[in-house]
Order: sequence, then structure tokens, then C-alpha cells
Amino acid sequence: MTNPTSPTDWKGQVMQKRIAGRYAAERRFKLFGLIAVLLSGAFLAFLLITMVGNGARGFTYTHVSVPIDFKAMPLNIDKDRLDDADADQVIANSGLSDLVTFAAEEALGPDAAKLISENAWKEVRTAIKDDPELLNGRHVFELPASSAVDIAAKNGTKSDVSALAAQLKQDGKLSTGIHWPFFRNADATDPAVAGIWGALKGSILTILIAFAIAFPTGVLAALYLEEFAPKNRLTDWIEVSINNLAAVPSIIFGLLALAVFINWFGFCQASALVGGMTLALMTMPVIVIAARNAIKAVPPSIRDAALGIGASPVQVVFHHVLPLALPGILTGTIIGMARALGETAPLLLIGMRAFIGDVPSGLCSPSTVLPMQIFLWSDEVDRGFVEKTSAAIIVLLFVLLSMNAIAIYLRNKFEKRW
Amino acid sequence: MTDMTSSELYIADPKMTAQNVNVFYGEKQAIKNVSIDVSTDLVTAFIGPSGCGKSTFLRTLNRMNDTVAGARVEGKIMLEGEDIYAPSMDVVQLRARVGMVFQKPNPFPKSIYDNVAYGPRIHGLAPSKADMDVVVEKALTRAGLWDEVKDRLGESGTALSGGQQQRLCIARAIAVDPEVILMDEPCSALDPIATAKIEELIHDLRGKFAIVIVTHNMQQAARVSQRTAFFHLGTLVEYGKTTDIFTNPKQERTKDYITGRYG
Amino acid sequence: MTFNAAALLLLVAGLALIGWLAGRARSVLLAHRAGNKLHSRPQYHGWYVALWLFAPAILFLTIWSAVSPALVTNTVLDSPAAQNLPQFGFERAAILADARAVAQGKQDIVRLEKSAPLVRPYVQATRQYALIGISAMFALALAGGLYAFTRIRPEFRARSRVEKIVMVALILASLVAILTTFGIVLSLLFESIRFFKLVSPSELLFGTQWNPQSGAPVKDTFGGIPLFWGTVLIGAIIAMIVAIPIGMMTAVYLTQYAKPVVRKWVKPLLEILAGVPTVVYGYFAALTVAPMLREFAVMIGISNASTESALAAGIVMGVMIIPFVSSMADDSINAVPQSMRDGSLALGATPNETIRQVLIPAALPGVMGGILLAVSRAIGETMIVVMAAGLSANLTANPFSSVTTVTAQIVKLLTGDQEFDSAKTLAAFALGLVLFTVTLLLNIVALRIVKKYREAYD
Repeated sequence: MTNPTSPTDWKGQVMQKRIAGRYAAERRFKLFGLIAVLLSGAFLAFLLITMVGNGARGFTYTHVSVPIDFKAMPLNIDKDRLDDADADQVIANSGLSDLVTFAAEEALGPDAAKLISENAWKEVRTAIKDDPELLNGRHVFELPASSAVDIAAKNGTKSDVSALAAQLKQDGKLSTGIHWPFFRNADATDPAVAGIWGALKGSILTILIAFAIAFPTGVLAALYLEEFAPKNRLTDWIEVSINNLAAVPSIIFGLLALAVFINWFGFCQASALVGGMTLALMTMPVIVIAARNAIKAVPPSIRDAALGIGASPVQVVFHHVLPLALPGILTGTIIGMARALGETAPLLLIGMRAFIGDVPSGLCSPSTVLPMQIFLWSDEVDRGFVEKTSAAIIVLLFVLLSMNAIAIYLRNKFEKRW
Repeated sequence: MTDMTSSELYIADPKMTAQNVNVFYGEKQAIKNVSIDVSTDLVTAFIGPSGCGKSTFLRTLNRMNDTVAGARVEGKIMLEGEDIYAPSMDVVQLRARVGMVFQKPNPFPKSIYDNVAYGPRIHGLAPSKADMDVVVEKALTRAGLWDEVKDRLGESGTALSGGQQQRLCIARAIAVDPEVILMDEPCSALDPIATAKIEELIHDLRGKFAIVIVTHNMQQAARVSQRTAFFHLGTLVEYGKTTDIFTNPKQERTKDYITGRYG
Repeated sequence: MTFNAAALLLLVAGLALIGWLAGRARSVLLAHRAGNKLHSRPQYHGWYVALWLFAPAILFLTIWSAVSPALVTNTVLDSPAAQNLPQFGFERAAILADARAVAQGKQDIVRLEKSAPLVRPYVQATRQYALIGISAMFALALAGGLYAFTRIRPEFRARSRVEKIVMVALILASLVAILTTFGIVLSLLFESIRFFKLVSPSELLFGTQWNPQSGAPVKDTFGGIPLFWGTVLIGAIIAMIVAIPIGMMTAVYLTQYAKPVVRKWVKPLLEILAGVPTVVYGYFAALTVAPMLREFAVMIGISNASTESALAAGIVMGVMIIPFVSSMADDSINAVPQSMRDGSLALGATPNETIRQVLIPAALPGVMGGILLAVSRAIGETMIVVMAAGLSANLTANPFSSVTTVTAQIVKLLTGDQEFDSAKTLAAFALGLVLFTVTLLLNIVALRIVKKYREAYD
């Protein structure tokens, strides 16, 4: 174009065109940025909508109305023993299971076994235990349908029972409602009675253990490193360890726990205790880093002021620095705990993958955690578990997002600028 | 003050003219009703105590205040008769025509050559490599840096000394061949020897570009400029020939400042 | 644990409280009687007694609960009733476990016939050791408490003593990090060395056949190359192709273009992506993304596309990493001084020219460090690949086919039913060692780069 030494002709056509091109590039670039943000947002929305769409139905279940006449077909049950500890055994031995199947066939036809859950009689058993008077008359029970009927009734999908299910629906014998056993029970092979309470309780116990170990250790370590540690080789090693541990893949902690806690110390396998200890080791570096940042943010003037009126360094730290840093430490801890709560991989290695049909009774009893339950159900062949998996995911996401929301609230509420 | 018009100062052909300019940052008014003319043949110095608005006003002259959220400019600023705040004015072109040198040297983390070539390259001023070499050499020569760096154009601009970095930034501004160069306390981060070199350079560049320099150093203003504007609390207190301002100020406030009563 | 630890803990804590009150009261009383002032405030005397009472007892309790089950089992094995036990294997362990469960009241009746005679010895031994442990613990607690109690004088420097103990606690807490690191390194090394006695390291690192069998190791079944390739394909290639451009552009848009209000709302929303548990991503990848990709592949004519594909796992992993990349890029771009941006804009550059030609080159070291950290995170990710990438060790560059990764194989090797000492389980630790080494190197290099970069602008 022009000779580089002559003055630039900014109004010239060539220059105007060039500038128009540059502005077009600017708009394109900005658009790419917007697209990137929207893509991430769209993916998040897609994920959440898929989960909620699938999972909402997991909270409900279909029931079939079946009348049972105990007067016509009396059960051989000693009513005095219904308050005993072995009442379940007593009722189970009385032939209730066969009676329920028989009553269902009476009411629904020869295919009844396919229509109601094989565990349906257990619901009747619970009802009898609550009210033994039922045994004296005829009563209509809402029995859980079989998984296939449940799916056919809720989703209208075609299967070998869908015609039967449609017929039942027309007869008004089907009802769909919130499925309380989902929140009450532990895992089971039958989607009609499988629940998340076992896993949820396992998660709670595990996280409590992890918190009880990681929080004090992490906070004390952070206080030492920030306030007291001399600058020497040992301190350097501690710092390097903490920074690296924060970035070590979680599955490595599983290998550590398997080798040390289970094979060496022989702690109870697949228990909340070992799970919690494993997650504590994993979360501790996160808490240390968050706590150090919070402690760093406390201005030196406060320490100087306290030292100036004759407090010892330990008193300064525990009376002044720690209380001021606590909101920040708690925020970091909650975020770390939320991450631990969603963790699966290390727990797979310490045996928590097993099928656990009971709600864990203690720290040492075999248990599973919510993410693991999701993993286990995702592998189930039965269609009924797809909804259960998504429902469990909704529960997990709800808990995690609430924890994060609390952390953000704490941060905004207590964030101080000195 | 407001009764002072440019006509008293006999600037025949002003490069830039500011008329009744007000600048607001949100609710706060940073510049109050300032009018001033800038000539190509003269160096104009803005002086005043810190926070007086001299840098803010400088930044309105090439619309660098646009990058500050909540900043608002009222009044008219003309470059060769064109209102630079008019919608038709293209800010990219404006900044190429009104270059700026900052308080702290800010070379890009690129080679010396690429630092100087950056402006011409984005504006498409040198279509060929040979043209670009000419532009770079000319800019570096004008900035008095060519002899010091001609053997190491590939080295990083950040490896130079502070004074050299600032002259590199001046070369970078010169390379796009601007009409006005705004300098915002260009020597405040430099030692006395580097400062002397920059002042010498400003002297050499006078007449080729209209130069406006903000400085908190009154001796520097006296040494390098022909026109001086004294700002205080966002107002233009006095504007006149540098010699007049320093030897015979008309305003009491100017006098107090010059004699060191406050600052 | 053979006795109720929580109850004991409460009991000792109660004793410590009594000790605290007693120590405090005594210091006040002595000072009053002697008529001179206390060196330390009374509660420090209280703390001094309480700590002496609490700490040794709890330390003992911890150690005792770790060793006593083994002692109990040994005693039971020495009893005459144990002479009929099978010598080895699963049955012996099952019988012992059954008897223990009944003895501890976790089970009402024995499930195995042979364990019945062992229940009594178990109950006796458990009771015996619990008695020894509890009495030893109380003796320790009382001895510690009394020792501290008798040392209280008005001039006694209780505060410095207590503070010394606090310092020891602080140092011990800091050492946990080093212990954990050592634990990881030693346990991985120890088991890996046992593995490398069976299979040579060069076979694991350079072999191309991965097909571990139970029993004695067969040649050419422990070649790690297919796993390493799968890991790289998913974590370092596909995931990064998704995460780097989207993460970078998100950061650029949010830092340079978006209004503060938009930024304030969008950033936490994106962070939700980082907070979603990996098992959810895995489920999503396997159930939703993988079938969609398979249909797409079949549509464009790749008939052998698998439902478990590298692409599904990689894309979802990339999405998971987006917030991580974007926050690293955000930090790096923000660390570039504002004066650079002003310098470029003042020359008449448009914002996008400024970003692409000045800001990003200036931020590049920080961004590179961030990307290395992201890669390290991606290759260590487990659940997504376990659920969506499959377990077949294919050495293929076809992203629609199923591949496996180091982490997925660790899980597979350790979750089957096998002896702990078999080559298969040991191989998991060797793979763990490789993974640990690689991620450690990546982290060290990345942190170096980032640190150097930060220093350049300080």
C-alpha cells in the first residue's frame, strides 16, 4: 500500500476496509467466547435435565390393589409372639408368602406372579405387625407391582406385561405414588424394595469419620505451618507433601488404604471406619491449603496487638487468629467434604463395592456409600434400576449442591477485607 | 479558569482542542469544565498535585478512559476538527493517531523488534518484511535507541534497562506514526540519567508530533515544555506559556503550588 | 474392636474434666494459702492435669484396639478347642469369623458347625483382654493425672507446659502429610517390587499384550502399552481437545468481555460442573453420551462402533475439566499486569488483538502449567473410564472403539475374587506406581512453571 515513511491515510478505502475486517474478527472472537460459555452451560443443563427427567420417576412406584381374606384362609400365627424380636420369622414361617401369591392369583388371574413384586408379602407382613387385627378379616392391600409392571405403567413402554398392565390400569387396580421404601431401605435385588437409606447412612458415617480426622489434623497442621514453623528442611518437606497430596489421583489413596489399613492393620473391610479414614487422608491436604489461605488473610496487626499486651504466641493463635480465620477454614472444609462425599474410586478398592442388603449398624459393619450405590445400580440389568440410579443421583447432587451453597453463603457472609 | 480561552495563547493551528470537558467516575466528578488547546509545534505539560485530574484528563484525549467501567465524558474534544467522542469516530484509529506512553515502562514480553512492529502490524502499515524493517529502524532511531539495540533486536524487550524500556515504549508509539503523543509521567519510574535521556528525546521529537506530558516534577515541566497547564481539584487553574507560569503566575493557587506551599 | 470404644472415650473425657476442675481448684487453693500470685492462670493448671490424664490413656487405647484382636485370635488358636480347625485357607478364616461374630453378639447363632466350640474360648479371651486393656488404660490415666496434680505449685509454669504440649500436637498434625506421602510411596514400592519379581518391569512398561490371568503369571500378559495408550487417548488427547478451547475461551470471555453481573452469576454455575461427582459423569457418559455417539458413528458409516467408547469417556471427562482449565486460565490472564493491556489498547489494537497477541502469549507459561495439571487430573480420573470406556485393552487410535486405562484396570484387578498375593493384585500396585510417578512429575513440572511465571510479574 503506502510508502511506510509517508503519513498514513486513515480515511483511505484500503484502511477503512481493513478496519472493518478487524472489527469483524473482533465480533467473531467474542462470539466464540460466548459459544464456549453457552456450551458449558448447555452441557450442565443437559446433564441436570436428563438426570431429573429420569430420576423423578424413581421416587414413585406402582402398586396393585389385592384383597386378602384372612378369615377364609386363616394363617397359623400365635398373636402373642407378634411383639417379640423374632416376629418376622414367625410370620414368614406361617406361609404368608404363599397366601399372598394365592390371593393375587384370585384377584388378578393366573399371571399374578409376574404382576406383583416377589417381595410384596413383606409389605403385608409389616402391616400385620403394625395391626394384628388385620388377621381377623378381609382387607385390600396396595402391593408393590413387579418392576416390569411398574415401568410399563409409568412409562407406557412395550413389554410382555404391558398389555396386562394396561388392563389393570383400566380396572383401576393400579396406583402410582411416592415410594417410601426408597428412602427407608437398603439395597436389594428387587427394585420394588431397593432403597438408598443404607447407602445414605453409610455416607453419613463415612463423612463423619473423615471430618473427625481431617478437620482437626488439617487445621492444626495449617496453624503450625503458617504461624510457628521454622524455615527448615522438614518444613519444606511438609509443604511439598501437602501440595503433592492435593494433586494425587484419588485412586492412589485407595491403594494406600488397601495396603495399609486393610492388609496390614486388618481393620474392618468395607466399613465406614476405613472408608472415612481413606477419605480423611485425601481431604486433609485440601483443608490444610484452605486453612492456610484463611490464616494468611488475618492481618499481622491483630497478632501484633495481642502480642503487645503480653499474650503468648500460642494464646495469640488460639484466641485471635483461629477465630478470625474460622469462617474461611469452614468454607474450605465444607467444599473438601463435599468432594469426599462424591468420591467413589478409592472406596471401590477397600471392598465397598459389595452388595450390602442391610442398613449399616455401626462404624465397623459393612456399608456402602451413595456414589457407590449409584455405581452398583448403574450396572444392574433390570430396567427398574435405571430410574432408581437417577433418583439416587438426584439425592446425591441435592446434598452436594446444598453443601456448596452453604459454603458460598458462609464465604459471602463472613468474608472480610482488612 | 473558564474565562481563559485559547485565543489568549495564540495557538494558530491547534492539533487538539478540548472544550468544556467534564469527566465523571460514576457519581464523582473528576474533571470540571476544562478547555485547552494542544499544538503540534509545542510541548504541553500538565502539572498539579497528585489526584488533581491531570492524568484523567490526559486519558480522555485518546479515550483510554473507555476501558474504565462507569467513566463518562461530557463536552467536546476535537482532533483536527473531528469530535473524538462522536459515534462516527473509530476508537482504534483514534488511538493509532493519538499514541500514549505510560508511567511505568510496559514493553510486551516479545522481542524488541516485535514490540516496535506490533502497532504497524495490527494496523497494516508495512505490507512487506522490508517495509517493516524500515519502520522499525526509523522508530528506534527517532527514539534514540537504535544504536543501543541494533545488534540484539531479537532479544526480549523486558530484558532492557528501565530507561531503555521506556524509550522502547516511545519507539513503539512512534512506529504507528501518530499525530499526538500523550506521556503520563514517563520518567517517574526512572533514574536521573535515564530521565535526562527521555527529556532530550522529547526535545528532539518536538515539532514532529504534538506532545502532551503529565508530570509531577515542576523542574521537568520547565525544562521540556513551552506551554504549561496547572490542574487543581479537577479544574484547570491556569494555562499559559511555561515561562509565564513559572515566573509570573496569575493565580494565587498556581503561585502557592510553584513555590511549594502544597503538593 | 473388642470393647465399646466410644463409651471408654467418653469415660476418659469425663475423668479429664474432673482432672481439669481439680487442677484448677488446687492451684487457686495453694495460691490462696501461700498468699502469693499464680504464675499461670488457674485454667492452665487445669489443662495441664487434664492433658496428662487424657493423652497417655487415649494413646494406649488406640494402640490396644489395634493389637488386641490379634492377641485374642492367638489365644483362641492356642486353646484346645482350636486343634480341629482346618490348617489353611478360606474355611479356617470363615470359621474364625463366624465364631467371633457370635462371641461379639453380632450374630445370634453360629452358621458353621465347626465354629460352635470356638465361641466359648472367643468370649473368654475377648473378656480377658478387654479387662486387661481397660484396667491398664485407667491405671495410666490415674497415674498421669496424679503426677500432674502433685506438681501444681503457685510458681509452677503450667502455661508454658501446656503450650509445649500444644506445639507437639501441632507438629504431629503436620507430620501426617509426610506420613501419608511415605505411606503411599512405600506401599506402592513394596507391592510393586513383589510384582516385578514375577514379571519384569520392561514387560509392564513396553509389552503390548494386556490379558492378565489368575494363577502363575504367563508371559506376554502384563504388557502395559495398551493401557498407557488408552489413558493418553482419553485423558490427554480427547479430554483436552474438549477442555482446552472451551475452558480458555470461557475464561477469556468472562474476564475480558462479560459484564460484572454476568461474571458473578456464570462463574459459580460453571463451578457446579466441577462439583458434580465423577460417578454421575460416568453414568451420564455410559447411559446418554455413549449411545448417542454410537448412533452417530453408525450413521457416518463406522459399523463396528462400540457402546463403550474412548470418545464418550473423553468428551465427558473434558467437560468435567472445563472449569479447572478455565479457572487456571482466568488466574493466569489476570496475573498479566493491566499495563500490558493498556499498552496494547493505546496503540489502537482491538480487544481480541490484545488478547491473542499480548495477553495470551504473556499468560502462556501459567496456562501451560494449568494444562499440565489438568492432564494430570484427567489421567488419574477413574469412575468415568470404568463406567464408559470399557475394559478391553485395545491398541487403537479409533476413538469410537473401546479402550481401557490404567485406573480402570487397577479397579478391575482389585475388585475380583482373588488372593491378595496373586500377580493380578500385585499388578494393580505396579500400575498405581506408574500412575503416581507420572502424575507427580506432571505436578512438579507444572507447579515450577506456574511459580516461575508468577515471579516474573511480581
